[in-house]
Amino acid sequence: MKPRVAFFDFASCEGCQLQVINLEEKILDLIDVVEVVSFREAMKESSDDYDIAFVEGSIMRPMDEERLKRIRKNARILVALGACACIGGVNRLRNEWSVDEVKKEVYDEADIEGNRLFDVFPTKAVDEVVDVDFRIPGCPINREEFAKVVAHLAIGKEPRLPSYPVCVECKKNENICVFELGKFCLGPVTRAGCNAICPTHGDGCEGCRGYLDDPRMEAAKDVLRKYGVSFDEMMKRFNMFNYRKGAI
Amino acid sequence: MSKREWLNFVDRLIKENEGEVIGVRARGSRFQYAPLESAEELRLDYDVTILPPKKYLLPTHEDLMTFDISKPFEVLANIDEGKRILLGVHPYDVLAIQQMDEIYLGTHRDEHYDARRKNTIIIASDILNVSERSFAGSLGTHVVETGFDLLVTDLGDTVAVTIGSEEGKRLLDTHSETREATLEEKKHVKRLRKELPSRYARKLKVDKYMWQKLLEENYDHPIWEENSKKCLQCGSCTLVCPTCFCYDVDDVMSLNLKEGRRVRTWDGCLLRDFTRVAGGEIFRENIKDRYRHRYYRKGLYLPMRNGFVACVGCGRCATQCLPDIADPCEIMNTLASFSMHEKVNFPIPDVKVAGVEEGLLIPEPATILRKERQTDMETLYEIRPDSGRRLEYRPGQFVEVSIFGVGEAPISIASSPGRDTFELLVRRIGHVTTKLDTMKVGEKIGIRGPFGNGFDVSGIAGRDILFISGGCGLAPTRSLIEYVLENRGDFGKVTILYGCKEPGAVLFGNDLQEWSRKNDVLVKKTVDQCGEGECWDGEVGLITTLIPPLDFDPERTISIVVGPPVMYKFVISELKKKEVPDENIVVSLERRMKCGVGKCGHCQMNGIYVCLEGPVFRYTDVKDMPEAF
Amino acid sequence: MGRDIDIEVRHLTRVEGHGNIYLNARSGKVEKVLWEVDEAPRFFEAMVRGKSYHQLSHITSRICGICSISHSLASLKATEAAMGVEISKQTELLRRLALYGENLQSHTLHVGYLVAPDLLGAGSVIPLVKTAKEAVVKIVGLHRTANMLSEAICGRATHPITLEVGGFTEIPTERALLGMREELENAKGVCTDVAGVVLAHADRLPDFTRETEFIALTNDENYAFYDGDLGSTDGGRWPVEEYLSITNEYVVPHSTAKYTRHNRESYMVGALARFNLNHAMLSKEAMEVAGMFGLKPVCHNPFMNNVAQLVEIMDSLVDSIGIIDELLDRGLEEESGEIEVRAGRGVGAVHAPRGLLIHDYTIDGLGNCTKANCIIPTNQNHANIQKDMEEITLT
Repeated sequence: MKPRVAFFDFASCEGCQLQVINLEEKILDLIDVVEVVSFREAMKESSDDYDIAFVEGSIMRPMDEERLKRIRKNARILVALGACACIGGVNRLRNEWSVDEVKKEVYDEADIEGNRLFDVFPTKAVDEVVDVDFRIPGCPINREEFAKVVAHLAIGKEPRLPSYPVCVECKKNENICVFELGKFCLGPVTRAGCNAICPTHGDGCEGCRGYLDDPRMEAAKDVLRKYGVSFDEMMKRFNMFNYRKGAI
Repeated sequence: MSKREWLNFVDRLIKENEGEVIGVRARGSRFQYAPLESAEELRLDYDVTILPPKKYLLPTHEDLMTFDISKPFEVLANIDEGKRILLGVHPYDVLAIQQMDEIYLGTHRDEHYDARRKNTIIIASDILNVSERSFAGSLGTHVVETGFDLLVTDLGDTVAVTIGSEEGKRLLDTHSETREATLEEKKHVKRLRKELPSRYARKLKVDKYMWQKLLEENYDHPIWEENSKKCLQCGSCTLVCPTCFCYDVDDVMSLNLKEGRRVRTWDGCLLRDFTRVAGGEIFRENIKDRYRHRYYRKGLYLPMRNGFVACVGCGRCATQCLPDIADPCEIMNTLASFSMHEKVNFPIPDVKVAGVEEGLLIPEPATILRKERQTDMETLYEIRPDSGRRLEYRPGQFVEVSIFGVGEAPISIASSPGRDTFELLVRRIGHVTTKLDTMKVGEKIGIRGPFGNGFDVSGIAGRDILFISGGCGLAPTRSLIEYVLENRGDFGKVTILYGCKEPGAVLFGNDLQEWSRKNDVLVKKTVDQCGEGECWDGEVGLITTLIPPLDFDPERTISIVVGPPVMYKFVISELKKKEVPDENIVVSLERRMKCGVGKCGHCQMNGIYVCLEGPVFRYTDVKDMPEAF
Repeated sequence: MGRDIDIEVRHLTRVEGHGNIYLNARSGKVEKVLWEVDEAPRFFEAMVRGKSYHQLSHITSRICGICSISHSLASLKATEAAMGVEISKQTELLRRLALYGENLQSHTLHVGYLVAPDLLGAGSVIPLVKTAKEAVVKIVGLHRTANMLSEAICGRATHPITLEVGGFTEIPTERALLGMREELENAKGVCTDVAGVVLAHADRLPDFTRETEFIALTNDENYAFYDGDLGSTDGGRWPVEEYLSITNEYVVPHSTAKYTRHNRESYMVGALARFNLNHAMLSKEAMEVAGMFGLKPVCHNPFMNNVAQLVEIMDSLVDSIGIIDELLDRGLEEESGEIEVRAGRGVGAVHAPRGLLIHDYTIDGLGNCTKANCIIPTNQNHANIQKDMEEITLT
């Protein structure tokens, strides 16, 4: 029996599901080994009978929580797809302010009070609402990693994320350290698995895959200070994908 | 030859069919080895490359083999036999390659490395510009006399060539016009080499032959703690090192779930999970221990094993380390100025390697003949190699079990030798063992081995034997128990102590019963806890409680202690209370034995490779090893 | 005798973004039809406040995964306009290539993966793999080429890496561009084939017309994607800085996305709007595709947007090849320039695949954003979609 797979999205750009489509010809293999039963971005059919649910996006509202809990109930395995689902990602940036304040900034005087569509709470990652079995981090996800996770789930090998930092992949790519180019990089504290794609293209790591289990934050801050990065600038960079109130 | 002729020579190498020409090229403000398209791209004036030329002998990622899991057992070794010329290799990197040769070809020849090495021509180059962080001048690694096919020295208008091999001479004769160097030119080359050390800004204040002594005396030096606080544990220092050779192996499946690859990638001992075993233990959990280990490996353990300091002073680690704590030159200078003088010994047991030495990485097919569930978590498998060969092993040795698409795991052999089949007791705890649990009788697995050092069965003949096993430790012990019982006349008193968590976790229940029925064997068993109403005919309490009431002759008795890591300290302390001398204790230790052949580095315990010198050790050999217990 | 019907289509599939359709009929007469956009608001305009100028494009690209390159570029243009940063000709050419890569990807996804199944009578592209494999393989190939172009320029197709204020963190090699050129040449034939497949089933595109206003960027040099003034099929041309008087955003209770209006109750942006306004700038090859379907300006059938997308696929391929030739002719150069932080306000507009996209930032003397406004293409179409649905169902 092929595992039945469904995709769902919450507050997100839907770019992670797009990476599944971006597997291009490999999609033909994918639909050979799993049965895709719901994939709103690409399919009309949908079903509540599935084994594996891939969930993209952050959770913003009570109505989203309800839907997510239904998905968790139906799914044997729930995989959080992408930074928004895994850690909250950029959606978390707004948690710096109160809900009322951000509503006012965007919707100004419009009458949205009591309207359930606009009834938001501070951004949550998926695992703040339901249990998550596996995570495919990144903004967007690395499609090769997605393919690997699907293959692993299909043959019964528990997917495991790299436990080492982006620097490992960056060194193997023989990049010039972006610090040497006068840039800022979160590679040393960020979980690898992206093949160090940003530093490889001359930009610093933004931490979209989330921190390691035991990030060396103090050591990293020392290094940033050594390279002349101000505390304010550090806060902004650390917060981009990994916002935590009052801390970096 | 003239500069012009030199460039022509390089261009001809590129154009003629001599193999892929890899040379040093600019990469932004730095340099790297990369395929050359024309001689103009070659930069002999480079200081140091980001990665060493090692990447062409042991690639960052390498498919060791490909397989098709839709077939019962189909595997193809992926040996790279492409010809390559490495151009512009600095002396320190030539020396580093010689070290790699020793590691990968000295014992347990690695056929993947071997094929690449045989097909690689090295055209070395004398150093024109010294890298800021290099201290090769102090190590004497700034010049080299062997290990290359050709060695070139750029003298400005001319290029001097030293011939290092027949193959080098052939290349030169075939593709260039050369003349004998003049006396003046020879002098010029000599002078350049002689003056080179003075151009190094970084200098070692201590001779490299003193590194071992310094490290032996400074295991608890405050510098390890201080520096490791600043460490990012990013692994960069090991990844750019020309003499680091540790690797990891993982299986990657294509999305069609048919073809897969077993991929070898560079690994590094600074990374947290480097020593992690399937059960979750991390044997070098503390960053300080990992930080220190790198220096000890380079300056003490490898020199003890192989006779060379595993550092060639290229300075790559120091260049790449953002907090700047990775420079061996600075560390050694610090230790030399503030030595603790607290000598610790790190002996490496002299073990005649008993395991296989050929066909190292490609598993052979074997069939599951029988599955016998022992507990919720453990199952006993009877295995037979399809080739029909009888596995020649000693009790205590292990095999690497392969399931294509999933990976490999080391499993100790649980049955006595001398049969056509062997048994493995497997705890469902990692990728491979979880998958194995789902496999049926008749299905195929891969095996490599046997590996490691087993129990010295002839050395313990004639003695009383006390087996002390905890949990899964009974598996390798059972191999020896069976052997002892099969050769009962060769041994004195036999006592078996076994302990585990609870009655439901008891392994080899039938065997325990059978052994206890024998009137010349004493069996005592205990569980940590026993639920109300549970059926249990043994003791309740930790295994250590079985030792004090025991009546045995400490001088005559050999104690075989095998169990989970936490058990050793307590059991050994009980044995010491009974005045058991250290030399009468034998232990078997668990580590991450990934390759089984002393290369991947994961199972290292101070200077010891558990997969070669262990897993079975005389207690005297490891009792003072800080990382052993 | 008419019936009472209540239809609720939740989580409408095969669209970008989230929407539901509600339809109530009483005694056989449709009384109400509602296009509800219920996706959770994400408050980007609030979250970029206080962020550094060099972070803005990286944050706002996350507004839309399908058009992240467009968002990056609108953001960079707004930032550069606010701080007075000039970009080189090379940067402009490379940016245009990046936009084309995304346009090709998005249009192929829409026409090939989302619309084609309807035309070929399938529920999705998945069953089509069995029934029309050849067509699917072609579509997938075109999609891959499109992403290769984006990756070659941006380092990554979704959420571009190399695009930065003032230029690029990394530029492609000439060899990569040459390889890309060959891919694009081959893709032209594939585009014609895909157009042929669509043409064979074009009778399934509803013949529906409702007069509306079309708004797009327009300029006198090319088929405007990267640059231009705002233009309308109702007449008029305004600098992008005057966008507020065109877009007139407002909030409706059944949509977290804002609505817009200009001259009429609604206007439309996107491929059809661009075609209607800028068809004179199309390449010969693109006009041939338009000719296959008899597409002529000003076309008021919103379903012909799909055909306009096919036309644009061809045009993006042709123009991309032209740009690559120009780049190779000029020779690629590593450029680096110091960015000088300056306070100011700037508006940046580009064409995302789905239509006009505008970012508007105010930046302070420290280089931090103090105010942001983003006008998203899909939002500009919501009112138009609602009006079209009313027209289809109520009459």
